[in-house]
Amino acid sequence: MSVRITGIGIVSAIGLTVAENLSSLENSKSGIGKIQYLDQKGDYLVGEVKCSNRELISRLGVKSQPISRTSLLGLAAAREAWGENKHSSKLRTGIISATSVGGMDQTEHFYRDYLNQNNPDFHVLKCHDSGNTTERIAAELGISGYINTLSTACSSGANAIMLGARLIEQGKLDRVLVGGTDALTQFTLNGFRSLMIYDDQWCRPFDESRSGLNLGEGAAFLLLENEKSIDFSGNETLCCLSGWANAADAYHQTASSPDGKGATLAIQNAIEVSGLSALDISYINAHGTGTKNNDLSESVALLNIFGDNCPDFSSTKPFTGHTLAAAGAIEAVLSVLAIQNSIIFPNLNYSRAITETGLIPITEFQSNQPVTSVLSNSFGFGGNNSSLVFSVNNS
Amino acid sequence: MLSIFTKSQMYITAASTISHQPTFKNAGFSKLIEPLKIDSELISPNFKEYIDAGLLRRMSKILRMSVTAAKDCLQQAEVDQPGAIIVGTGLGCLQDTEKFLNNFLTIEGLLPPTSFIQSTHNTIAGQISLSIGNHGYNMTHTQNTLSFEHALIDAGLLLGEGNDNIIVGAADEYIEILSTIGEHLHVKPEVNLTSGASFFIVSKEQSGKSIAKIKDIETVGLVQDIQESIENFLINNTLKESEIDLVLYSDFNDLKDSGQVSDVFKRFENSSELINYTNIIGIYPSNSAFALHYAVDRIRDNNKIKSVLIINGLNKINLGLILIESIEA
Amino acid sequence: MDTLKEDLKKHIIEQLNLEDLQVSDIDDDALLFSTDGIGLDSIDALELIVLMEKYYGIQVTNPEEGKVAFLSINTMADYIAKRRT
Repeated sequence: MSVRITGIGIVSAIGLTVAENLSSLENSKSGIGKIQYLDQKGDYLVGEVKCSNRELISRLGVKSQPISRTSLLGLAAAREAWGENKHSSKLRTGIISATSVGGMDQTEHFYRDYLNQNNPDFHVLKCHDSGNTTERIAAELGISGYINTLSTACSSGANAIMLGARLIEQGKLDRVLVGGTDALTQFTLNGFRSLMIYDDQWCRPFDESRSGLNLGEGAAFLLLENEKSIDFSGNETLCCLSGWANAADAYHQTASSPDGKGATLAIQNAIEVSGLSALDISYINAHGTGTKNNDLSESVALLNIFGDNCPDFSSTKPFTGHTLAAAGAIEAVLSVLAIQNSIIFPNLNYSRAITETGLIPITEFQSNQPVTSVLSNSFGFGGNNSSLVFSVNNS
Repeated sequence: MLSIFTKSQMYITAASTISHQPTFKNAGFSKLIEPLKIDSELISPNFKEYIDAGLLRRMSKILRMSVTAAKDCLQQAEVDQPGAIIVGTGLGCLQDTEKFLNNFLTIEGLLPPTSFIQSTHNTIAGQISLSIGNHGYNMTHTQNTLSFEHALIDAGLLLGEGNDNIIVGAADEYIEILSTIGEHLHVKPEVNLTSGASFFIVSKEQSGKSIAKIKDIETVGLVQDIQESIENFLINNTLKESEIDLVLYSDFNDLKDSGQVSDVFKRFENSSELINYTNIIGIYPSNSAFALHYAVDRIRDNNKIKSVLIINGLNKINLGLILIESIEA
Repeated sequence: MDTLKEDLKKHIIEQLNLEDLQVSDIDDDALLFSTDGIGLDSIDALELIVLMEKYYGIQVTNPEEGKVAFLSINTMADYIAKRRT
């Protein structure tokens, strides 16, 4: 399988554009720091997008309100990915976004006022539902017709990309903007605290001393096009999405299985769909959240698939924080950048391998690498596991 | 415009609904059912027959309803493991979402994690997979009133990719604050806000278990011309209005007085039976999933009904269309 | 000690939604996290940590510590008694 990627856009803790994100990655500059924007007590380390809602609204020229931060971040990334593309009645264009919080960034303020009987603003609830997050982005971009939102926790973004590819493969759409967006919220920050997997220090994926994640926020979108659409747009192909798969772990509501069953299935099937062999994978952008459970289970899955020949791998979450539904999309854009620029990103904050598996990630930024195929993993609550394979365009 | 089933077919082999009406394990309910009463209550089957006590004790309303309806479908279709599990939900697990909001805004100390874990939209599909040990494709669509239609389209794609015996369904749950919100936003629905879960098994081959066929599905987000969209949908399926035996529609609340919608109905009213399914089942974002079950039940009961069209206009900016045919057709 | 154990069982049944269980159904030495015992899981373990703080003012900062302390009603009661003094 092979679907062309012709546009990318990203907003994260390490930059408001693709260029800014690339520059931070090249300079090993993390975007994680103490809370600046979120209304939350405590010195938590978070990967915030360095821009207030007001600044985002004015940058993006959004007229109608209320609008959630999730929509604003998504719009910024979607607009960058859409670029100068033109609308055409001859092309079936769609948009699929992913979000886990939707408009919760607004709802939680409403709900506090509601509980305190402090004149709550019911109107912000119009942007609560996840579907609205995407409709707002679609409306701003002038897209109508196939507008859809997926919500499968931390694998959502990867699933949106996969669904877009399948719609193109089966000839249902000619081009589709796919991605994900999630704002940082008190809801999720307190949620991961309640699970006792929020690290008060910098997250340390794949390190023996890892003790949890740092949340981030952001959005990323990719434009997928078929031949007909490219004939119209004349867009250059950045690289291809060649493999995808989703599988259920069916082990536990939150924890991943010790044998990495769901993760192994997702990786194996995605590589199979791509028509490549495991040996063809040049780099793995791991899910690597920094929790004890995920990183061990993911490492076991990598050993299941790659044995002694595990390709270069790293988690980029120490740069961006864990952006939940946006993570799969943000890491997809980073995978495209790795192929485009022949680079591999470092796994920051690493010092010692996990005892049980001994896998050692890449710890320094690498340039001039022959990166032809990248595997990107995204695993979520409820045992929702997805893997994508990106490949250099050979046609 | 997205017209999905040019190649693969989609046969319904099981259907199950838990709602405010006597829909559960009650084939032929469509004959008996009356418009929703103001004081109607959500039916409550013996969930313990379907769900392990260890899982059940944590489950909110939406999870209990969904897992039970999904398992009932598996029993009806005599399928052990479905090829995939696909769920649509407009607002997700509201009960747990509100509970966790309450918790973190009011509790000073440590927070209980259960309601956070179960607040994510994909808890429904995740709990179905967990309760039957299924490792297949597991997806959750949430596009407010079109969530179910999107789940069905995804199921169609999977059938086209060779997958089979897919659980597809939709669920939404009512919580009290929805009524308060409605009042403050000056939305006064004429029908109750309700909860409901409808699940189905769809397969690519016709079999003795097949009860109806889904011919086509389309979603039009940010719809511009409802009438034109419906016309094109029928043209794509080489059908005339007069060939549709039954039209199931939802409220076109805000559009009632606009000429657009009354024109839509004029085209059908001479030859088709018209039923507003929202008056039967109440309002929740994914209630078009009930409409599909209702259509299937009518088809099973009356061999004169060959074609049913569901027109989902519950939210005026979105249009969902599902075309169902009887097996003989 | 016996009242402590009784109270503990009541709190556990409530906090973990063990709808089908009565205080008398839980033996003092039944293994809480074994399927042969009460059949709790890791989410329940977190809920028990919340319970310890809420009702007994005891902070279990290390989930590993909880694993040992939460073996049975007996070990929990011992742990509470020890931490209180």
